[in-house]
Amino acid sequence: MIGRRTLFGAATASVAFGTMLRQQVAEAATMGAAGDFSPRGADGRLQRLASLDLESQQDFTLGFRLMHGKKIRAMSMNAFDRVLASKGVDPATPLSLEDVLALVENEPTINIATKAWLANQQVTWKTLQDHFHANEDFYMSEMEAADKAGPGSLELNPTMNIPDYARHEIHIQPGGYVGDPFAGHIYHYGTNSFYISVIGHNEQDQIHKATAARFPIPEDGKVKRILDMGCGVGQMTVALKERFPDAEVWGIDVGGPMVRYAHMRSRRLGVGANFAQRLNEDSKFPDNHFDLVVSYIVHHELPADITRKVIAEAHRVTRPGGVYYPLDFNSGGVRSPAHGMYGRWWDHRWNNEVWSFEYHNMDFTAEIAKRFSMVKNAKAALPGFGVRHAIKA
Amino acid sequence: MAAPESNRPTFATDAIPSDVKSGVFLGNSILDNVVSCLIAMGTELWSTKRRLKVIEAVMAKNGVTNDMIEKYVPSDAEKAEWEKDRDRFIDLTLGPMSNEGIRDMAAGFPKRG
Repeated sequence: MIGRRTLFGAATASVAFGTMLRQQVAEAATMGAAGDFSPRGADGRLQRLASLDLESQQDFTLGFRLMHGKKIRAMSMNAFDRVLASKGVDPATPLSLEDVLALVENEPTINIATKAWLANQQVTWKTLQDHFHANEDFYMSEMEAADKAGPGSLELNPTMNIPDYARHEIHIQPGGYVGDPFAGHIYHYGTNSFYISVIGHNEQDQIHKATAARFPIPEDGKVKRILDMGCGVGQMTVALKERFPDAEVWGIDVGGPMVRYAHMRSRRLGVGANFAQRLNEDSKFPDNHFDLVVSYIVHHELPADITRKVIAEAHRVTRPGGVYYPLDFNSGGVRSPAHGMYGRWWDHRWNNEVWSFEYHNMDFTAEIAKRFSMVKNAKAALPGFGVRHAIKA
Repeated sequence: MAAPESNRPTFATDAIPSDVKSGVFLGNSILDNVVSCLIAMGTELWSTKRRLKVIEAVMAKNGVTNDMIEKYVPSDAEKAEWEKDRDRFIDLTLGPMSNEGIRDMAAGFPKRG
């Protein structure tokens, strides 16, 4: 895990950060009349949530998530094993999803884990969404003030045809990535607890910064242009710009509210990254334009046919010798024990990971290898995830 | 729910909603709803407790120490008022545990008089 000292070790960064915070406070003061609360400042890179109660509600749902992972999930797995044993099924036996569901679908002792997790997830989202909507004027003013300001740039495409595949409420986030004006705000704060309960702290972008630092670069060392496909709220885009301050760095995403928030946040951090509302499969960039093209946990949220189109688009915009590294989960032929199969299913069905089964059933690495040269024995940019270090010939 | 009530451009569009609220996981939708309520209740309770911690911390920095709070002796009037409120709270939140579920939903009225 990356400590805060690592993040703020450089004295120059601290000075710049202090200047930036003063600027934020001044900006907030000019807009203070818009909201019925006083901004509570920042904790490092993260703007503190605007009310103590909202912060505490998120603290609870994080705590519940941690307890769920330690206790309720274990209880559910034990119950799962008992059900299998009562039916005379060896838990190590490969079972189809249909077999698993037939065995466990009416078992409250198993399903309470799913139900409780989902209820907690709903509270996480609802409390955030309620707050941002209740203080709509303040937050809209913040974004409007940032839209045309630098550093960096923002391109919004309100007439863009948003494909249906991108309209789903992934992770049951209300409105998903495209349907709520505060989708970026909601996603950013909601996912902080995802990270803590699964990988580690990320409130200061620790995971993104560490991952950005591990992304490989072209052999010739030239990194002048970088593309982050499906950038979401821009945490990886910003981390890449911080690693390569002289490079032109772009983040694109289908969600207008996502890139809008990403730009506002990047600007707050004093980072000159560029954001655009565009499709990954139709990025509008010239051929052979980028030295490094990445994505961060995007493809499991895309249909398989779109993933293939995105790989083709990445190949088109990567320059010869350039690196493509789409970071995502392992996929293709990964076998799970019965309980793992069940877990994957309910995450897909009820946490609304609509496209995750398509992703897991596809060999993502093999799809990339159809167009790029794969680097053998490459290092993981994020341990535990798939290693896909690809080079355009 | 998607768009705030204003004419400002939101750059949001219609989403395809999840049907998570209609899922029955525990064999009875009421049980599912109770679990949702419990977690929401826990969220609110923790928010209250956490606010108390902040209040205590702020008070301590302003001369009211935790020790003063711990050693505070309520007056008789305060005691009586607090006990009354305690009993109301317990009756409200845990009183339903004493409900005797002896009639199914289709049962008619019991005989009266």
